[in-house]
Amino acid sequence: MLSREELERYDRQIMLYGFGEEGQEKLKKARVFIAGAGGLGSPVSIYLAIAGVGNIRIIDHDTVELSNLNRQILHWQENIRERKTDSAVEKLRKLNPDIKVEGIAETITEKNIPRLVVNADIIIDAMDNLETRYILNRAAIDKNIPFVHGAVNGFEGRAMTVIPGKSACLNCVYHGVTVPREKIPVIGVTPAVIGCIQATEAIKYITGMGNLLTNRLINYDALSMTFTEFTVKRDPDCEHCGKIKNR
Amino acid sequence: MSIELQLSSVFARYAGNQTTLTVKGNTVGECLDDLFSQYPDLKKIFLDKNGNLLRAFDIYINGTSAYPKEMTKPVKDGDKLHIIPVIYGG
Repeated sequence: MLSREELERYDRQIMLYGFGEEGQEKLKKARVFIAGAGGLGSPVSIYLAIAGVGNIRIIDHDTVELSNLNRQILHWQENIRERKTDSAVEKLRKLNPDIKVEGIAETITEKNIPRLVVNADIIIDAMDNLETRYILNRAAIDKNIPFVHGAVNGFEGRAMTVIPGKSACLNCVYHGVTVPREKIPVIGVTPAVIGCIQATEAIKYITGMGNLLTNRLINYDALSMTFTEFTVKRDPDCEHCGKIKNR
Repeated sequence: MSIELQLSSVFARYAGNQTTLTVKGNTVGECLDDLFSQYPDLKKIFLDKNGNLLRAFDIYINGTSAYPKEMTKPVKDGDKLHIIPVIYGG
């Protein structure tokens, strides 16, 4: 049941055809796990918080640095040297005091991931490296939790949604490829676009609206201002999801 | 066969500031050979020392992945190739 204040706060989205109070209540009950409170995690968490997602768990092991501030809009000058999760929780609670926000300052590993994603309705991949992205992807498949991937480099970004057992997973696309981790160039507007796509996918999944970005990898090239859609398919030999029967 | 090849904007500086190129070939490998003959700097970026496509790149033919054995995949007149790098930043 939505309160009078919630009905007013979310009035403009409750108006959406097919959304209504029912959609808002679904968001209120939802539990979203956001891996990363950086360039992607910032817009994802901000937009999910203000949309009224009732339970947000955000994880990041880093502290805020001056060089983060060109893109990581959750963090401000005054937060330098603070834990990113502390900075994130503070901002998200101020943006929407009605929701529950939990910050976890840990490094995601194969060992702790089952505990971290417990009870999550959806996992958002806002990480900065492939190794952890694969850990998240595998956990999503093992636990049958939908997974929204996003990644950026420079003026380019990419996004895809995985419904375990139904659509291609991240490993079907990248086949376990890893590349040396380097400091990459990026401008804030790129993760802003991709993070908003990821948040949109989460809202669509939770409310049951529209068509998800499944079996499709979308590539955003800001310099040519083009979105290109690539068809991706489940790989029967995929080490992550190949043995999972169609659900 | 005349094939349209689309590069990521990141690599435009190695291809005369272009992202949409025309190459010729009957397979992906032949198209890339033609690409490298036009823009030799791209060869060092996309291939390893043995001439194999680096695993950090994926090739799509008309929007569908050419994986595995990308280089031997046939192409026909009017096909569109994309070479996209694996990206991981967040």
